[in-house]
Amino acid sequence: MADTEVLPAIEREKKTRAKSELETGWLVICWDDPINLMTYVTHVLQSVFGWNRQKAEHHMLEVHRQGKSVLARTTMEKAEHYVHELQKYTLHATMEREP
Amino acid sequence: MKFLRATKSGHVFQLKPLEQHLLLEVLSLYPLVPTTHHRLNKSGDDPQLDENQQLLEESLAEHRRENQRQVLDMLKQPQCLHETESGFELKLTRTQIEWLLQALNDVRVGSWLALGKPEADTVITPDTQQIARYHLAMDVCGMFQSMLLASLGVSESSDWIGD
Repeated sequence: MADTEVLPAIEREKKTRAKSELETGWLVICWDDPINLMTYVTHVLQSVFGWNRQKAEHHMLEVHRQGKSVLARTTMEKAEHYVHELQKYTLHATMEREP
Repeated sequence: MKFLRATKSGHVFQLKPLEQHLLLEVLSLYPLVPTTHHRLNKSGDDPQLDENQQLLEESLAEHRRENQRQVLDMLKQPQCLHETESGFELKLTRTQIEWLLQALNDVRVGSWLALGKPEADTVITPDTQQIARYHLAMDVCGMFQSMLLASLGVSESSDWIGD
């Protein structure tokens, strides 16, 4: 009898998914462009991320007061998607490697 | 511009003739932000993102062309914008409000960039017609954006006082 344990296919699938979910490493950052209206930034964050008003306002105020806010920590693919969506609204957004 | 009512088929606004003229005037500047303005990465020196940067610029340029077409077509439709006794009535669906917000913010940011990114409290002297045009466009876009956002229930909070 072989010593190695053969996992059922369903178990392997779970492990693969869990691994990809951990492969984040990218930060989506919104930078302050003082020309953008505070209400507009709040609205865009709600639209793009589906956040409630309170959470969107928290990040908007962070951008306004601290010059930037980390909006998401995610995979490269998703980070590109979010940056693209934010830039469609002409917000100053970039993706940066997690230090 | 005045928000009149929200119905199942859209949000209805009333515009004075001058406001209608200004709306069409600022939208004639769209798109204004240079395609190279947006960067995927702050430093721009990540080799993994170099190829994607070009794709991003192409995709944004295509998106803005499409949005420009949608906005201009929309405003030509009488069910969207028509003359009334007192001026004009503008009726927008939620999706059309998003199109318009994107176009207006592009012109607002583009004007700000063209003026050299002045601080909020900078007094801009309209030395040339071009400077005056961008300055006006920046303010006019902000006014329309505020009205559209207020109609969606997004207005300034008392917590922001002093910011």
